[in-house]
Amino acid sequence: MKSQLARRVSGAAAITAAIALAATGCASGGGGTSASGSAVTLKLVAADYGTGPSNTSQTYWQDIATAFHAQNPNVTVTVQTINWNDFDSQVQTMVQNKQYPDITEGDYFSTYAQEGLLYPATDVLSNPDNLLSAFKDQGSYNGVQYGMPFTTSSRTLFYNKALFSQAGITNAPATWADIQTDAAKITALGKIGFGLPLGSEEAQAESLLWMLGNNGGYQTSDAKYDINSAANVQTFQFLNTLVKAGDTEPSPSTVNRTDLWQKFAQGQVGMVNGSPALIPIISSGGVLKDSDWASTQIAGKDAALTKTLGVSDNVAAFNANGHQAEIKSFLDFAYQDQYQLSFSKEYDLLPATTTAANSLAADPTFGGFIKSLPNSVQYPSDTSWPQVKTSIQQTIGTAVADDPSTVLGQIQQVASGQ
Amino acid sequence: MSVDIAPRLPARPFRWRLSRLTPLIWVGPAVVLIGVVVILPVIVMIQSSLQKISPDGFVLGDAGFNNFTKLFAEPAFVGVLLRTAIWTIGVVVVTMVISLALAQLFNARFPGRRFARWALIVPWAASVMMTALIFRWALDSNNGAINVVLNRLGLLDAFNSNESAWLGNPPAAFGWMMLVAIFVSLPFSTYAILSGLQSIPEEIYEAADLDGATKWSRYRAITLPLLRPAIIVAVLINVINVFNSFPIIWEMTRGGPAYATSTTTTFMFTLKQSFIGESAAMSVINFAIVIIIVVIYLRSTRWKDQVD
Repeated sequence: MKSQLARRVSGAAAITAAIALAATGCASGGGGTSASGSAVTLKLVAADYGTGPSNTSQTYWQDIATAFHAQNPNVTVTVQTINWNDFDSQVQTMVQNKQYPDITEGDYFSTYAQEGLLYPATDVLSNPDNLLSAFKDQGSYNGVQYGMPFTTSSRTLFYNKALFSQAGITNAPATWADIQTDAAKITALGKIGFGLPLGSEEAQAESLLWMLGNNGGYQTSDAKYDINSAANVQTFQFLNTLVKAGDTEPSPSTVNRTDLWQKFAQGQVGMVNGSPALIPIISSGGVLKDSDWASTQIAGKDAALTKTLGVSDNVAAFNANGHQAEIKSFLDFAYQDQYQLSFSKEYDLLPATTTAANSLAADPTFGGFIKSLPNSVQYPSDTSWPQVKTSIQQTIGTAVADDPSTVLGQIQQVASGQ
Repeated sequence: MSVDIAPRLPARPFRWRLSRLTPLIWVGPAVVLIGVVVILPVIVMIQSSLQKISPDGFVLGDAGFNNFTKLFAEPAFVGVLLRTAIWTIGVVVVTMVISLALAQLFNARFPGRRFARWALIVPWAASVMMTALIFRWALDSNNGAINVVLNRLGLLDAFNSNESAWLGNPPAAFGWMMLVAIFVSLPFSTYAILSGLQSIPEEIYEAADLDGATKWSRYRAITLPLLRPAIIVAVLINVINVFNSFPIIWEMTRGGPAYATSTTTTFMFTLKQSFIGESAAMSVINFAIVIIIVVIYLRSTRWKDQVD
């Protein structure tokens, strides 16, 4: 009886919410508040940042869900984690099939906001201003923030110091020319000189890091796609020569980041662009000692980058199930500093709230990364980005083997709406 | 109809009419199942191929034949079609030839035959995805088992070279994947032919021996013609399976680099991530191709005369 009543009450709440939505014409009206005392199950879908069963994010989220349930016996949070390789397509499939989760954590697409699927941050967080403001635009649609950064990272160039000294290289690479000569020397040792992951997993990140080195990027300063700009074509021509000379792993367009990072951790790769998330992979690999590797600024054409790529993984709250009040109390709970910091510690990533970031500002490992976050470069945030990103992931890798201007031109065609 | 008949047959008892419906009880569930599982999806598929759909699955309106024109204009499209033809024909033909030989072998008496027959099932029983992943890592350019063996044999000079990156080189990758597809298709075809072989009566061969037939003419004049029904069924099922084959290509190359090792099935799946309408258009074409292949094949083999 009780649960039937509860279902009816929350059903009524959903109908109320739907009417409110229709009446105001607002894309994302507030959901109804379920009557107190009713049992609600929240479905949380998160990307798995772990490298195996020992540090899977399932444990991290389950701990939060359990602690939250102890304080809020009416709300049960079911946790599903998906590995990064499949996260986008699986969440996309849930949305396409209208089987909406309540909360996702991982990649976030502004199309969800455009289609009115999400609660704005102000509806599901008591203090949204505590989120790092640098990532606000990335999660916003029409000036309203929907994507809430949960964890952030910035990219640096990792290099294997042991291989460097074996090859007689003394300085960290800063320019493309450095990369070329150093990679050639390491290749001569029978290892992979520069690891270039242009496979579908995260080709959009690797490509952008190289484009930035030549003052290029996906968009012009007024947010228009300019993927086949002269600078970008030149960048890929450089990569083309690097690959043809055998200074990278063979056929980079089929190689994914995760696999290549594992090989770096095994001491098989001289240099690779990485995020702090590479650090736990290195330590769990058990091959490289702490003194065997270092990380430095991403190399640019003429000098090392001063602005790096800042990536935030976002929380999105879906309104289809009408659990606004429960989502809000859960997110307030999960965004506490202690959980932000334990996530950073577990995966060597950076926090996404001001209070948590401030408490790490003096940290020897994270302090530098945190200072560079405010002026980091981010991915485009417009609603055509999901399609553009799919095209980049699938095809941009071939630009290092075929003619760069043709490949980039085809992606630009998708970006400019055919 | 009933309006015409009713006045002339007013005395027909009600029970008779009900009993006419009894076959429906037996056929009904199957009809409903086919309707829900086969026909409904086909209708939805055709419908979605004519709609403009956002990457998140929202219908934005009618697209006419735009999805099809966009699909035909994809630079990768012609290559994908050609590869699908090579994939299907190549895998099925080689599988059938090897299966004919294997079935002959397994039909002969030799010690350990029971064990050998069991062993043949393994590639079939193992998950195709698992088999594909094992091959993918065995072909790894840095330390894959196959590359290590080739290196020890002196056939491969260096790891991390273009020669060792089998899956990065589209023709080589496609060749390896066809090999895996043949490997996993063999057990079924071999067993289908083996059961055909066992149904051939021994007396026919004895009669042929009396007539002084050679081994080869025995095979050509007796075995092959009598195997025809088994071969027709095996080829048909193989063609459909291989044409629709997804896990091998997906796990080994994801159809890449770009779409250079994609067939229509994997291409459709890649498109689905963000271009749903175009992906549905690809599905419609896939569906049409399968139907056309099956109809042509059944016509040309006069399958009814053979199998009925």
